[in-house]
Formats: sequence, structure tokens, C-alpha cells
Amino acid sequence: MKKLSMLLIFTILIGILAACSSNSGGAANETGATQKPSSTEGSSSSDGKKTTVHFWHSMGGANGERIDEMIKRFNESHADIEVIGTFQGGYDDTVTKLQQAIASKSGPDVSMIERAYVQMFAESEVLEDLKPYLQQAGISEDEFSEGLMGHSYFNDELLSLPLNRSTPILHVNKAILDENNLQIPTTWAELEQVANALVVKENGETTRYGVSMPYDTWYPLAMITQAGGTFFNEDGSSIGFYDNGVGLKVFEQLKKLQSTGALFYPPTTDSGSIVNSMFKEGKVAMLYQSTGSIGGLLSAVDFDYVTAFLPKDEIYANPTGGANVSMLNGSSNKEAAWEFIRWMMVEPDGALPFVLDSGYLPFTKTMIESEAVQELWKKEPIRKTAYDQLQYAVDTNKHVAWPSVMHEFFSAIEAIMYDSKDIQSTLDTFKKDAERILSKS
Amino acid sequence: MTRAIHYTRQAMGYLLKSFILIIFVFPFVWMISTSLQTFRETLSYPPTWIPAIPQFINYVDAMRAGPFLTYFKNSVIITISIIVIQLIVMIPAAYAFAKYRFKGKGILFGLVLLAFMIPGQVTFIPVYLMMADWGIQRTLLPQIIPFMSNAFGIFLLRQYFMQIPEEIVEAARLDNASEFKIMSKIMIPMSMPALATIGLFSFVSHWNDYFWPLVMTDTAAVRPLTIGISMLRETEGISNWHIIMAGNVVLVIPILLVYLFCSKQIVKAFVYSGIK
Repeated sequence: MKKLSMLLIFTILIGILAACSSNSGGAANETGATQKPSSTEGSSSSDGKKTTVHFWHSMGGANGERIDEMIKRFNESHADIEVIGTFQGGYDDTVTKLQQAIASKSGPDVSMIERAYVQMFAESEVLEDLKPYLQQAGISEDEFSEGLMGHSYFNDELLSLPLNRSTPILHVNKAILDENNLQIPTTWAELEQVANALVVKENGETTRYGVSMPYDTWYPLAMITQAGGTFFNEDGSSIGFYDNGVGLKVFEQLKKLQSTGALFYPPTTDSGSIVNSMFKEGKVAMLYQSTGSIGGLLSAVDFDYVTAFLPKDEIYANPTGGANVSMLNGSSNKEAAWEFIRWMMVEPDGALPFVLDSGYLPFTKTMIESEAVQELWKKEPIRKTAYDQLQYAVDTNKHVAWPSVMHEFFSAIEAIMYDSKDIQSTLDTFKKDAERILSKS
Repeated sequence: MTRAIHYTRQAMGYLLKSFILIIFVFPFVWMISTSLQTFRETLSYPPTWIPAIPQFINYVDAMRAGPFLTYFKNSVIITISIIVIQLIVMIPAAYAFAKYRFKGKGILFGLVLLAFMIPGQVTFIPVYLMMADWGIQRTLLPQIIPFMSNAFGIFLLRQYFMQIPEEIVEAARLDNASEFKIMSKIMIPMSMPALATIGLFSFVSHWNDYFWPLVMTDTAAVRPLTIGISMLRETEGISNWHIIMAGNVVLVIPILLVYLFCSKQIVKAFVYSGIK
């Protein structure tokens, strides 16, 4: 027993020692750099030490590795700056972590922020205006693709720049369409006709659906703008697709497609994975899905796979997604932080290789004109469609209360798509809930 | 006749047990199967059950995706430190609550129960701010300090200690045994099953903890395995489930190993209290 108690004491000492020592000696972070104590302490390059820039991001998996490679390229080309990139969970997790870190004054210098959340941080006045930095660096604001700048300007300040941006697009199994002598649909009416023609039923069970989409607000949102509505009205006091009947029209269209088997609406959990699998197996012929899936699908499918614009109703329209990058005004290393952002935006070995490998959209004119992008588009034209569609990009859900309203919108989608509740009365309830939330903010 | 009933009962018992077993084992089998599949196989629908060629390289890929050795080391240090400290705090506390009479015992024990009843969600923001104030966010301490005492463990162990006859403790005292000796020679050996149970529960909950480390850490150097594995998930686009599942298998193996060693003691703990 004596031995046991000695062992216990020994282990605890080791544990505590190890726990303390990882403060100074923690050898591991994704960039393989030595840990610096804290971003808020700061250190200047004049004393021969490297300035540390903390960069928080939301990229896991293969894209996470691509971000790490990008950071490594930066660190290798900058002797006086050390960027430490840290994954902070998904987009929502990162936002929560940022709120918490800003409150305790331990926030990063630079962070990736999902575009719809930028406004929330903008209104708390914690983001740095990037206009003067751009001016100083001689970069024109027109350099950035206009369709991707919907969540960048607030009160005439430029608070975020695009980084990993995507749009929803129509993924098409062209082989199935060709077999049935059908053309890729360009309007809602054509989509309805083509999707219905592709339905296969065996023994009363649908074995192939025409079209599908993940369970998300993104796709109904796209259809609302296509039908001439907006998500929020002009002054942000209510929704912009109720009085004009657009909401009713969108959901009636979806329910009509669903009732015949033309549309497969997946269950909520992992809906993206489910519809991707079904598309890959040819169980759905067309798919509304993010451009972020192009790379994965390309490597998984065996058939002739193409992408097309989301079908239009009154007009072509599509929302944008993904995340922007911002500098926090609490940073004590703003110059170094800006150098990192500038480098990502304009240098050929900045964010461009990340964009090329990941399938996210190129976001500056220089990037688009670059040989690398042009070559990729020639080789894989389906990636170009995503960019071309940007001319119709429009975000009508810009509001500081969007995250809360979004939750109510999800409930409405669930009620209509799964429980087949009456569309008009569901939208009545949603409108009331949305107005209540909007009046508070 | 009674024999027939006996056999039917037994058969029913086996049937029910196998049914429950299948329900519990199924997710593990699927996880292991997925961890050995190719990317294409993970995307097939209906799902693939047996991979055509087992892809052991997935495990290498998962380990290469980040500083997994660091994550693993952090997980081990955090979990072991917590368990050891908890035992050191818990045993004397439970002993005092079970065998001593002192002023304010009722109130103090009430405080322990109160700690046991307050959910972590209520305290995590104040605790985070406190840790940030102390400037120890970039160490492993914020993941250890809040769990140094285990209220549930003190409660459970006290109940167990109370079942140990007073006479044994008295006899030891008559023989001039120190309190430390009574604890180490009598209380601990006699309550091994309870200690093993508490230890295992503590191990599983801290080894698997995701929420607390996510809140408390913002650098890779101090993060545990659970967060490392969540990093394998794609934020947008198609996740590599085969790699994620390989990571999960690595996460689960230590728990299975520990359970294998503790299982006898745990069963004993429940049977023992059941008889009483």
C-alpha cells in the first residue's frame, strides 16, 4: 500500500508538472511553430523577436490542411512575423469562441467569420476598418468581386474581406439526363418537368428522385430571391416575401415537387452527406448544393457530372455563403496582422492555392485573371459555372438579427416540408415571430 | 414441466441479451467498418458493410492530419491528473463525512450535494473568465482545476464507507493505527469496487469531454484528442468519414481497455450494494 500511495503522489506530481510545462514548451500547433505566450502581450520586431499573429479559422478536414499549408507559406516568406493558425470548430463555434475571447480580452488578431455573422461583430464595434490599410497598400476596393462584398461594408467602414466563399449551384448527373433526352433545366417550370420525368418508381417505392437539396435555409432563400422577393424588407422591420405572396409560391412549388417524388427532401441530420451520397449513387439526378462540394463529388462520381446555374423564376438569383476574414481592433499587432491579410488577398502564393485546391470561389480580379485559375477552369469547366453565377449573387438576409430569425425560418421549413402544415398559416406564424425578433434589435 | 419452463426462460434471456448486445455493439461495428473503407465506399447508398479491401492507411492519414501525438498526450495528462487528484481529495473527504462527527457536518455535506447538482452550463462562463484572469488559458490547468473535486464521487464513496462496520475502525484505533493508515489499510481496500467505478466514470467523462476543452482552449498545444478528431470534419463540402472514424476508433480504444481491466470491480460494486 505504501508503494501505491507513493505511486499516486508521483503520478500527480508528474501530471501537474507536465500541465504547467506545456505553457512554455508546447511544441505542437498546426503550423509547427513554437508557441508564443499571448497575442495581447505583443512583441515588436525591433528587438529581434518575431511578431506573433493569431489567426482563428473554421476549416477542418482537407481544407484545414490547406489553410495550414497557406500559413506555412506565409511564415516561410516572412522572417519577422509568425502566424499561428488555430481551428476553433465550425462557423458557429468560432463565433461563440470569439464572443467569449473578446469579453476576456484574449481574442486573436485575425479571424475567419462566417459572412452572416460579420454584422453582429460590426455592431459591437470590435472589427478594424480595413479601408485605410487598403489605401496605404495601394489596393483598390474594386479589386474584390462585387457579388462577394455583401457582408463587408457597415457604416461606411470596410470590416471584412472575402476568403472562403461559396454559392449554391445546381449539380447535374448529365448521364441520366442524356439517357432520357432531357436538357438541363434553366427555369422553375423546366425543372419541374425534367425532375418529374426522371422519377423512377418500383413497386410503389421511389428508387430515383429528380432533384434534391440539403435541409438548409440557403435553398428556400435562393428561391425567394428568384421569385422576386427578398428575405428581409427594405428597412429590416419585417420579412420581404410575405405580402407579395413569394413565400407561398416558393413553398407551394417545393411541396408540389415533393408530392410527386420529383423532389427528395432529406431528414435534418447530416442532410448534406445523405444527398451527396444519393447523388453519387444516381438516386437523385440533380442537386442544389454548395460549390464547396464540387471537389469531393468530382473525385467520387463515375458519370458525366456538370454544374449549372440555379434555375430562375422571375430572375436568376443566388445567395452567397462561406466566410470572410476580419482584423480585430483589440489586436496589438495590427501591422503584422494586416500584412497577413494583405498577403492572402493579393500575393500569388497567398490564398490563391487554397482557393484552387478547395473549390472555393476566387475573389479578386487578379485571381480570376491569373493563369492558374484560367487553366483550372479550362480543365474543369464546372468550377467556372460557379464563378459565372456570381453575377446574380444577392444577399437579402443581411440583418444583425439574422441568426435568430434563421432559427425560426428553420422551424417554418420543418413544419412545411416534414409535417406538411398549411403553408400560409406557417408563414403567418413565422412573420409574427420574425417581426418580434426584429423589433427588439 | 418445470424444466421446460426453465429452458424457455433461459432461451428468452439469451434472446433478449443478444438483442440488447446487438443494439449496443452495432454503432461500434459500423464505426470500425467505416474506418477501413475507401472514400467512395463511405459515400455509397445503401451503406457498405464490409470494405472490399480494408484500408489501414486511413489510420495513418488520421494521425497525420494534425499534431495527434500532442492531443493524445494532453488527453492522457488531463484525465490521469483529474482522476488522481480526485482520489486524493475524495477519499479523506468521504472518510470524514462517513466516520467523523463534527460541527457543521450536515451543512458541509449539503454544500457537496449542491456542487453535485449545479450543471456545468451555469458555471462555465464565470470559470472561463476566472481562468482568463489568471492567465493560464494556454496551459492544461483550466481543464484540470475545475474538476479537482468530484462531488458525486464523495457522495457515493461516503455511502460505501458508511457500510463498513464501525467496529473495524474502532479496533484499528485501539491498535494505535493513524487515520492515514486506517484509510489506506482498511477503507481503500474494502471499497475497491466503488473506487474503480468512480474512477472509470470519471475517466470516461473526462476522456470524452468535448464541450469544456472547446470552451477553455484556444491553441492546439493544449487541446485534447476529442477536439483533434472534430477537426477532421469538413466545415463545408464532403467530409472524409473514413478518416474521422479511424480517429474515433483511436479515441475509443483506451476506454475499452480501461473497462476491460475494471469491469470485474464495477460489477462487484453494483452487486455488493444490491445485496445490502
